[in-house]
Amino acid sequence: MNATRIAAWLTVPARWYLGLLFVAACLHKIADPHSFAIDIATYDILPLSLVNLAAITLPWIELAAGAMLLVGWRVRTSSVLIAGMMAVFLAALMVALARGLDMSCGCFASQGADEDPISRLTILRDLWWLGLALFVLVFDRGLVGIDHLLDRRPE
Amino acid sequence: MAEAAVVAATAAAAALVFNTVRPNGGLPLIARTPYQVLVPCPEPGGAVQPIPADDPALSYDRTFLIDARPAEEFNRQHLPGAVHLPYDWLDPVPDGDLQQLVEAIAASGATRVAVYGDGGRPDNGEHLGREISGRGIKNVFFVSGGAPELFGVATP
Repeated sequence: MNATRIAAWLTVPARWYLGLLFVAACLHKIADPHSFAIDIATYDILPLSLVNLAAITLPWIELAAGAMLLVGWRVRTSSVLIAGMMAVFLAALMVALARGLDMSCGCFASQGADEDPISRLTILRDLWWLGLALFVLVFDRGLVGIDHLLDRRPE
Repeated sequence: MAEAAVVAATAAAAALVFNTVRPNGGLPLIARTPYQVLVPCPEPGGAVQPIPADDPALSYDRTFLIDARPAEEFNRQHLPGAVHLPYDWLDPVPDGDLQQLVEAIAASGATRVAVYGDGGRPDNGEHLGREISGRGIKNVFFVSGGAPELFGVATP
């Protein structure tokens, strides 16, 4: 088994991990978009007119991308989405840290800054997730999941 | 890439539909009023900044005014809408009172807190401001010169 084949198999647990992560992350945001809107507003990046729209739609994109990764359907598409979202989240985090904001990242269930403050560790954690998404994007060969059943292999 | 855009657009459309059928009508697509985003200060010491007595921000709706002087001075004259919490150097503000005030500030939707006291050296308004700021409220100001500057009379 060569290195590429091993990497292709490693994308399967990576996919499940990222899929579960994104599905878990979106649930509270879908259940309570108002709290998520406050989290977004706290970053002070988006204009007020876009805060609610982002709070309503972003969790559903997370849900779609996470679920697609979990079931192995259109894996490259979903990993592009996940990587894109992670890049946006990272940029927002870095801006917030540069401004010295003492706040929660709002990534999971809304918490106060005391319980879940943003920090350089948050950046490292998000970089790790971004790296995993890129790993899946590059090395996935549709080994397990719906893509495999449909025999849809990435080129 | 195009497929990712289609998925994102479809998910966003589903989100908008779901939002409209929520029992309470869902979140408005556009927020009408800014969110309360006062966040705790990084430093527990509590930072405050001076604000001139003639600054128009003192009369803004979203400025939370606090009078730190004794009751008789507050009753004699105070800024409209000011909340009274006397700050006595020898008798610290009870913890519960301070916490109640901080919660009232957080719930008020204010974007700025302005405290005025006796304008002395040290100024009790400034120190009350530091206490409030140390409880996690941002954008706390103290009025330079305190009540004498505001009302043009010397505090006894």
